[in-house]
Amino acid sequence: MTKLKLIRALSLLPEFAAASIGAGALLPSTGIIAPAEAATASKLGDLSPFRAIVVDAAALVDKGDLPGAKTRIKDLETSWDEAEASLKPRAAAEWHTIDKAIDRALKALRASAPDAAACRQSLADVLAMMDGGGKV
Amino acid sequence: MLNKVPEITLIFWIIKIMATTVGETGADFLATHVGLGKAMTGGIMAALLIAALIVQLRSRRYVPWIYWLTVVLVSVVGTQITDALTDGFDVSLYVSTTVFALLLAAILAIWYSSERTLSIHTITTRRRELFYWAAILFTFALGTAAGDLATEALSLGFTVSVWVFGLLIAAMAGAYYLGANAVLTFWLAYILTRPLGASLGDLLSQSQTYGGLGLGTIRTSLIFFAVIAVLVTFISVGPNRPKTAEQA
Repeated sequence: MTKLKLIRALSLLPEFAAASIGAGALLPSTGIIAPAEAATASKLGDLSPFRAIVVDAAALVDKGDLPGAKTRIKDLETSWDEAEASLKPRAAAEWHTIDKAIDRALKALRASAPDAAACRQSLADVLAMMDGGGKV
Repeated sequence: MLNKVPEITLIFWIIKIMATTVGETGADFLATHVGLGKAMTGGIMAALLIAALIVQLRSRRYVPWIYWLTVVLVSVVGTQITDALTDGFDVSLYVSTTVFALLLAAILAIWYSSERTLSIHTITTRRRELFYWAAILFTFALGTAAGDLATEALSLGFTVSVWVFGLLIAAMAGAYYLGANAVLTFWLAYILTRPLGASLGDLLSQSQTYGGLGLGTIRTSLIFFAVIAVLVTFISVGPNRPKTAEQA
């Protein structure tokens, strides 16, 4: 009897995980997500070299140097692309989430008339993604 | 017209695998490092492919450097088509793999119904050669999609991929020597050389932090290009060179 219940519970896990992720998308700070996040944050491995570039670019945006931030963020584009073959197989869905966030930041910084607030927000989003392991 | 395509030797497969890698890293380099962006690089590569294809089609016999230059460019364009679908239009890799597999099967079927033979030892007419290059293009698109799908769905890293795709190609060779259908084993092996070439390039170029040899994309491309140049020169001169009409 207990075994059957256990099997039923296990088979509901994917649905529970999906529901949690869905809930997490709407409520980023929900407590249900924390254990899942902690597990997946390490799936892509050590993202600190990339994180450092984002932090640099954000600092430049804060100082009002948008062209400088645009130059610095190119380093992220190059190094992130170069490491794609190594990082993506570790956790493809998470990799794509961060990749899209990076694309949005690149777009914001490369706009013909870049908006400092939008740039700042997009870079903050990338940092949040990296710290969260790519889970929304 | 003599046979316009090379005989299937070990050198053929080595050059093919290396041409795959060089094509991809070259296009990547232009799009990202040089900063041309994907759309412009795609346009440039498509234009170069058309030019190379015209030279290849107009030749009366197999000329190694023209043939292999065309293969490199088909490799790039085939890859870029799949990448554009995946990244630009969010087409699922399951869908693109299936669609390109069906398209390849369709082109082979039409080729067979038109020519009654799929032998690559008798590509001696313009029409057969056009079927050949269309099939080659689809194998690159399919190889890209299937390889990317294996990477993402099965979390296959580059080292494991080199083993997996290498062994699958060896299995095709084994099947061929045991009497399996030559056309089928050829095209399956050909498709598999795309993900093998890509993984091999990754193994050499990716940082040692991630388990690669850390050579970087530029050095890896140059090494592969040099090996291709040496091999193509080798098969073009001396007693091994392709026969001209007088010698055939």
